[in-house]
Amino acid sequence: MWTGPRLDVSFRHRIGGLDLEIEFSLTRPWTVLFAPSGAGKSTVLRVIAGLERPQWGRIVSRVEGKTEVLMDSDARVFVPAWRRQVRLVAQQAALLPHWNVARNVLYGIKPLDMMIVKPSDSAGFKMRLVREVLALCRVPELEAKMPSELSGGERQRVALAQCLAAQDGRALLLDEPFSALDAGLRDEMMTDLKAWPIENKTPVLHVTHDVGEVFRSGAEVIRMEGGRVVAQGEASVVLADERERLLRQLETR
Amino acid sequence: MDWEAVGLTARLAAVTTVLLMLLAIPLARWLASGGGWPRAMVQALVGLPLVLPPTVLGFYLLVDLGPLTPVGRGLIWVLGHPLAFSFSGLVVGSMLYSLPFAVQPMVAGFASVDRRLGETASMLGKSPERIFRDITYPLARRSVLTAAVLAFTHTVGEFGVVLMLGGNIPGATRTMSIALYDQVQDGRYSEANRTALVLLLVAFAALALLYGRQDRKGRELV
Repeated sequence: MWTGPRLDVSFRHRIGGLDLEIEFSLTRPWTVLFAPSGAGKSTVLRVIAGLERPQWGRIVSRVEGKTEVLMDSDARVFVPAWRRQVRLVAQQAALLPHWNVARNVLYGIKPLDMMIVKPSDSAGFKMRLVREVLALCRVPELEAKMPSELSGGERQRVALAQCLAAQDGRALLLDEPFSALDAGLRDEMMTDLKAWPIENKTPVLHVTHDVGEVFRSGAEVIRMEGGRVVAQGEASVVLADERERLLRQLETR
Repeated sequence: MDWEAVGLTARLAAVTTVLLMLLAIPLARWLASGGGWPRAMVQALVGLPLVLPPTVLGFYLLVDLGPLTPVGRGLIWVLGHPLAFSFSGLVVGSMLYSLPFAVQPMVAGFASVDRRLGETASMLGKSPERIFRDITYPLARRSVLTAAVLAFTHTVGEFGVVLMLGGNIPGATRTMSIALYDQVQDGRYSEANRTALVLLLVAFAALALLYGRQDRKGRELV
C-alpha cells in the first residue's frame, strides 16, 4: 500500500490543434503514461509541472492526509512551477552550460539537507551524493565534465540525476527517460530506479510510447488516445490489443 | 585643456552609469521576459532618445522639471534647488539620454539565454530571482558590460541635453563637449583640438575594449 504523496490531475487544454481532456490519479509509486508519439504526453507533464497553463484545470497533491492545491482554475489558484515541488525531466533536457556536471547535480539540494551533515564532511557528502545518483542514472564518472561535452542521452540522464538528488518532491515526471539507451542498459536502470520512489516517498510518472517498456516496468498504466485517458490499470489488460498486435508482427516476421 | 571640464565629464559619466545600470538591469529583465503591448510601449519609450534630437529631450526636461510644474516643485523641495542648471539635473538628463544604450544590449542578452535553462532551475525549486542570479546574469554578462561601457561613453559624448538642461556653468555643468564648443566659438583651435582628441580616444578605447573581449566567433574570452 502506497503511503507517499498522491496526485489528482484533471485539466482541459488546447495546443497546436490538439484537444486534451485529461483526468487521472497517481496512487502508486510508479505509473506509466502510454500514448503514441505526438499524442500530447509531454504537454500533460508540462501542465502538471506548472510550465504550461491549461485553459481549465485542477491539480491536487495529497500528502499524509493533507491536501495541497497546485492549481485550480475555478478558485483562481496557480502555484508557479518553482514552488510545486513537482520535478519534470524533459526529453530535451537543458543543463546549465556554465557549470560542470557535479555542480549541476547539486543545484537542487536544499541547505536543509546539508544540516544533518557535519560542515567538515559536507564536501564528502556532496561528492558521495553526486556519485550515487550518477551511477543510478548510468552516467558514472561524468562529474567533472561540462554539459557541452555530453551527448543528448547523457544530458537527459544527468538531468534525471539532478532531480533525484533534489529529493522531497511531490512527484517526479519522466519524459521518455530511457529512449536513448540500449535495451540491456535500460532494463538494468529501470530495475534500479523502481526502488527510488518508495525510498524517497515520491511517486513517479513515466511517459513512454514503447509498449515493451510498459510491460517491462510492471507498473500501472494510464493509456492516452486522441487527447483523452481511455483506460487505467494493469498493463496486461489495458494494453492487451497492443500486445496482440506486437506478437502478430513478430510471427509474420 | 579645461581640466575642470574633464573632471566634471568623468564624474557625470560615472555617476550616470552606476545609477542607470541600477535602473536598466531590472527594466531589461522585465522587457526580455515576454511580449505583449505593455512591453512594446515601454520599449518604444526607452528607445525614443535614439531617434529624438537631444535638444527635444533637454527642452522637455527643462520645462517639466522646472519650478512651474508640480514635479519640478517637488524636486526643488527635496533637493533645495531646481534640477535645471545643476549637476543632479545633468545626471537625470544623461540617464534618460543614455537609457536605450544601457537597456537594448541587455534585453538582447537576457532574451538570448535558453528558456529551458530557467525551466530546469524551476524544476529544482529555484525562484525567478535565483534563476536570474545563477543563470541569466552570468550567461549574459557580456551584454551587461556592453551596456555599461556604451552608457558611459555615450554620456561622455552628449551635448544637446547638457546644453539645454545644464547651461554652461564652469565646474557645475560645463562638460567636455560644451567646452569644445566654446573653444571653437572663441577661435581657440589648438585647445579645441586637444579636447576633441581626448573625446575621440575615450570613445575608441571603449569600443576597442568591447570588441577585444570577444574572439572572431563572437565568443567571450575572459
